Amino acid sequence: MKADTGKYGLKRWVGAGLIVAFVLCARALGLTPGGLIPPDAGHWERTGAFFAAALDPAFDYEDENVPDEADPIWWKGIKGVFLTLKFAFGAMSLAVPTALVLGFLGSSAWWPEPCGRRARALLRSVYLVSRLFMSVIRSIHELIWALLFLSAMGVSPLAGMIALALPFSGTLGKVFSEIIDEEARDASQALKAIGHGPVQTFLVGILPRAMPNLVSYSFYRFECALRSSAVLGFVGIETIGLYIELSHEEFYYREVWTYLYLVIAMIVVVDLWGAAIRRRLHTSTGGCAI
Amino acid sequence: MPSAFRLDNVTRRYGSLRAVEEVSFEIKRGEQVALIGPSGSGKTTLIRLLNAMLSPDEGAIRVFDSDLDTCDAGELRRLRTTLATIPQHLGLVPTLTSIQNVILGQGGSRGTLRSLRDLLFPSRADALEIHTILDRVGIEEKLYTRVARLSGGQQQRVAIARALFQHPAALLADEPVSSVDPARARDTVKLLGELSAEHGFTLCVSLHDLALAREFFPRLIGMRKGRIVFDGAPDELGEEDQRALYDLSDEEMMADA
Ligand SMILES: Nc1ncnc2c1ncn2[C@@H]1O[C@H](COP(=O)(O)OP(=O)(O)O)[C@@H](O)[C@H]1O
Ligand SMILES: [Mg+2]
Repeated sequence: MKADTGKYGLKRWVGAGLIVAFVLCARALGLTPGGLIPPDAGHWERTGAFFAAALDPAFDYEDENVPDEADPIWWKGIKGVFLTLKFAFGAMSLAVPTALVLGFLGSSAWWPEPCGRRARALLRSVYLVSRLFMSVIRSIHELIWALLFLSAMGVSPLAGMIALALPFSGTLGKVFSEIIDEEARDASQALKAIGHGPVQTFLVGILPRAMPNLVSYSFYRFECALRSSAVLGFVGIETIGLYIELSHEEFYYREVWTYLYLVIAMIVVVDLWGAAIRRRLHTSTGGCAI
Repeated sequence: MPSAFRLDNVTRRYGSLRAVEEVSFEIKRGEQVALIGPSGSGKTTLIRLLNAMLSPDEGAIRVFDSDLDTCDAGELRRLRTTLATIPQHLGLVPTLTSIQNVILGQGGSRGTLRSLRDLLFPSRADALEIHTILDRVGIEEKLYTRVARLSGGQQQRVAIARALFQHPAALLADEPVSSVDPARARDTVKLLGELSAEHGFTLCVSLHDLALAREFFPRLIGMRKGRIVFDGAPDELGEEDQRALYDLSDEEMMADA
């Protein structure tokens, strides 16, 4: 049919356009396949050493100067994993309540009905401001927030936590407001129709309705927060990333791999745990969650 | 009998579309009325005008003793606590249990803090009353079951129970039986009529199914394209009226396909 070729024709054009754009970008950046190959013997050696160390992670410090009474490296790594967990958990404890408030302000399912012209204009501007605020804080990466906060407040766990919590509040809040508006319309309309007020509708109708998905999405973001807090170690915050960075600086690649394996183990365990939680939430709501 | 609902020349538009056009009628207290008409004829819009969720573009609506256009938000909310509404998709909170959903029926008059407490720790007296109501509508064993785990018919009963717990002066139900099989639909419509008689509340139900409406309601209001084309007892509804209600014009056939 005519309409069909039109549709696929458009898709073909978009596809071709993307390939052209890729080639242009690659040329502009000076990318060549040869860029993957180390330029000289010294680099070859270091790359080889790094990957060889993957098969031979350190069980003792490579650094000679570590005092004997220090924790063994695996214990230090495990403590680093727990620091990372604590840090991510702290950031999420700031981000989830903030996101709930922002998600409430950035959604419309709870608005009173009928809504007078002036009330509507007011609610609409609160809605837009909150949406805008969320997109601003999430469009700046947590690493950049961290650099800003660390230079303002010095290297402190709290500064790092706020830096991580900010963009996470933005992302969580945006998704929360969408979950609220998409899922809870029916229930909230019904409650408003029998005299519930706006805030009441939100608390007793919308929140319980959206809860399984809010929890499940928060958990997914917790997994992202874990990876991010490991990375924040590179700017000096004490998580496992800091240990990786310090060992890497000294070319102690076998130590780096010890820490990396611990990070991988942590992520896998949390992923499995999260998947189990999501499965439970979704079956217990009778499939009404996404 | 004084009137429960009174509409004078009410029009409600969506953009240029007149969903309800120059509608006037009166429903007396305690009356049982079925709103009939094909889909798109304006039944849902009319029900949302009756419970003040929508305001009319033209005309006046009087509900019990209030003129809707002079009510402020607080008065509207108070008025709504006396009108039970069962929307087409029931509007239950599927993640909550039956008792939690039913107890929200009085949320409007009890306020936010009390409602939160009711959800977490329902009082003995409420639990007893709700048990009695669920018994009356035939699902007393589902008191602590999450609504998402109930069948469509059982969810409908929970919605009816929520309305009853409200102790309403009027019950508005929008196509309450559109999603269940015919046998169950008949039981539900019959139950609504009986409950209205037992408790003395005014009943206004929109129905797709003309046969059901004729069997159980002493008065039918027929709508077509936003206008009232019939208002009377079932035995006054002749062939001609039915054609005016349901026969599709060629133009509508095209739109339906
Ligand atoms: N929110 C809305 N926005 C725009 N048009 C609407 C809206 N709600 C209903 N309509 C239109 O108003 C007319 C009446 O709809 P409705 O009251 O839902 O009829 P019924 O309940 O009898 O099927 C229909 O043509 C419908 O498309
Ligand atoms: Mg309808």
